Amino acid sequence: MTQHWTRRQALQSALGGAAALAAGPLWAANATLNILCHRVHQTSLTTGPAGDLTAPWRSASNAECAWTSFDTNPLQDRLFREASLEKTDFGVGFVVNSRATPAAAGLLAPLDAFQAKAPIEDFADIAPGLVSAMRFGGKLAAVPFRHATQALFYNEALLEERGIKAPPTSLEELVEQAKQLSFRSAAGTPVVGMVLASDLAVFPVTFARAFGGDFIGADLALLPDPAAMEKALTTLQDMFKAGALPRSYATTTNDDQVTWLQQGRAAFSVLPFARHTQLNRADQSKYPGRIKAMEFPMSQALKGKTAMASVTEFWAMGIPANAQDKELAWSFIRAMSSKANTVGAARNGNGPVRVSTYNDASFAKDQPFAAIEAKALANARVPLPAFPEAARAQTVFLEEVQLTVIGQKTPKAAVAAIAERVKPLLKA
Amino acid sequence: MATNNGKAIKKLAVPAGKWLAVLVILLWSLVPIAFMVMSSVKPGQDIFAVPPRLTFTPTLQHYVDLWTRWGSFFHGLLNSFIITAGATLLVVAASTMAGFAYSRIRGPWLERSAMFLIVVRLLPPIVITLPLFGVVNHIGLNDTHLVLILLYATFFVSLGTILMRTFIDQIPYELDEAAMVDGASRFTILWRIIRPLARQGMLAVSVFVIVYAWNEFLFAFIFTSTKAKTAPLVISEMMGSLDGVEWGVLFAASTVQLIPILLFVLLMQKHLVAGLTGGAVKG
Repeated sequence: MTQHWTRRQALQSALGGAAALAAGPLWAANATLNILCHRVHQTSLTTGPAGDLTAPWRSASNAECAWTSFDTNPLQDRLFREASLEKTDFGVGFVVNSRATPAAAGLLAPLDAFQAKAPIEDFADIAPGLVSAMRFGGKLAAVPFRHATQALFYNEALLEERGIKAPPTSLEELVEQAKQLSFRSAAGTPVVGMVLASDLAVFPVTFARAFGGDFIGADLALLPDPAAMEKALTTLQDMFKAGALPRSYATTTNDDQVTWLQQGRAAFSVLPFARHTQLNRADQSKYPGRIKAMEFPMSQALKGKTAMASVTEFWAMGIPANAQDKELAWSFIRAMSSKANTVGAARNGNGPVRVSTYNDASFAKDQPFAAIEAKALANARVPLPAFPEAARAQTVFLEEVQLTVIGQKTPKAAVAAIAERVKPLLKA
Repeated sequence: MATNNGKAIKKLAVPAGKWLAVLVILLWSLVPIAFMVMSSVKPGQDIFAVPPRLTFTPTLQHYVDLWTRWGSFFHGLLNSFIITAGATLLVVAASTMAGFAYSRIRGPWLERSAMFLIVVRLLPPIVITLPLFGVVNHIGLNDTHLVLILLYATFFVSLGTILMRTFIDQIPYELDEAAMVDGASRFTILWRIIRPLARQGMLAVSVFVIVYAWNEFLFAFIFTSTKAKTAPLVISEMMGSLDGVEWGVLFAASTVQLIPILLFVLLMQKHLVAGLTGGAVKG
């Protein structure tokens, strides 16, 4: 017997399905906390060796977490767009340090009253530098949750292939090794010494700090040591000329850095410590277990005199000022910031913001570079402080850096142009 | 003799050139798709290997990972299906009725509104998106299937109407007149006479809407969060740069996302061509 499905039945089924989806599950918990985050926040709180860290909170609060995740820039745009409405359904939003300007922070609920009423466990244990970056006009706008501190990654196997016995101990050695490591490997792969994304300020800033300089200091001082920045740009330009940076430097992205390291197409790169696991995954990398991390080395002249200020970026949890249920949101932030959950999230792949986490045995066991990361974090600073025109300042800076690296401008002229073009943005 | 040789060379060169052009276009179009599909079954460490590996042991692991770790992708596919179906039904219905009106009724206001239809098409979506965000939020339509159905329909009704008018123009008006003599109303004429005869046009319109709604990103990105999130949004999440891209899973998702629309377009290509050429020659 042939069963015919009529158009009417098809339409009814489609509408029925849509209605069922729209109705949602009837067995839902009493409350739902909508969280706006990057997927990395969701996974580090719900998936990994430490399991789902939100489960006890959900059970105790009789609430469900509804995660909405986007990549960094879309996430920040969405968060602040939601926070500028009359009301929003989102209770918790993750803020990245570079977007936490005073104006943006004004869209978040001040958390001091919540902290006074129901304090986060051992709040002083959360890296004070990160907490202070989230205070605006004395008010706490968000609670730090994750940091990503940059490390120098190197492919141990490629170093061995070129007869290099140990990773570099100074920036000058790094440059020499990178030049030496620009070759065709035994596997037939063309290798470049170092791969760096050209669209992020992190890398030229790292080089500048290795010479004791910076782009914009914590006190908004522009180019505190112009000579150091000039040296950094000269170094990068020389590396490009020598083929120790890819010919495609101007279009290289952050994802390329990971892929190139995994494929043995680059010997060195600068990436967050947290990338160590991914770089060494057997199902993705041609060199599982052979890609190692270390603190980015200082220039020979400053070695042992000044500590390297590695670049770090961090995320914090905030509550939109127009959120409907701020108490529920705070109870989530408070629970996820506890010592135990910070360790758990770190074991799930998060960069822990509590100093004590680095002393935790279970974390150290999972993260072989915990001690190095802790040392780097101690002196780490954000690539540039948050100010209203930070994004434009970074764009200007990167334009000048790119022109210099590919040989279209002299380092001296680029430094002068950075000073001239960025200065008005700091005043704005 | 030399002239004959020249003619022979020209005779061979012209078709060879055409075939070469077709080959280049095919390579240009198909290589990225082939790369995507092949990468979805390649072991992760071989996807971007240099030199590239053309021989490898295929694996379905990326599809397994997609199923086990990215369940939201399949929920997104379901949402995409609901929204695409809803938008298509709405556009086809509205365009057919509007096309009928433009084809059969004459008047100065109708002519002006036809111009308005074209102007609407010229507006870049982003122009209205951000102001609309507050409005949609205020009336509680954020993160619903309905908001995307309405938006997609709004942007495609104008093109659909123009297409349908072209199709309906080809249906002899005498058929309407005969039906009117028999006492048929405008709606009866539309439903009983025009609809069956304009079916090819309706299919052509639906192809345009389906392809657009299935792949659309901007509106879905702005107006949905969790409940109505579509598959392209989940794919964009997979590209999130903080925790690293799992390329194999990403290519597997892209392949799954591509298959339904590819099959649909292949099945409907006859109507798509008819839709594009409809009304090109009026008898």
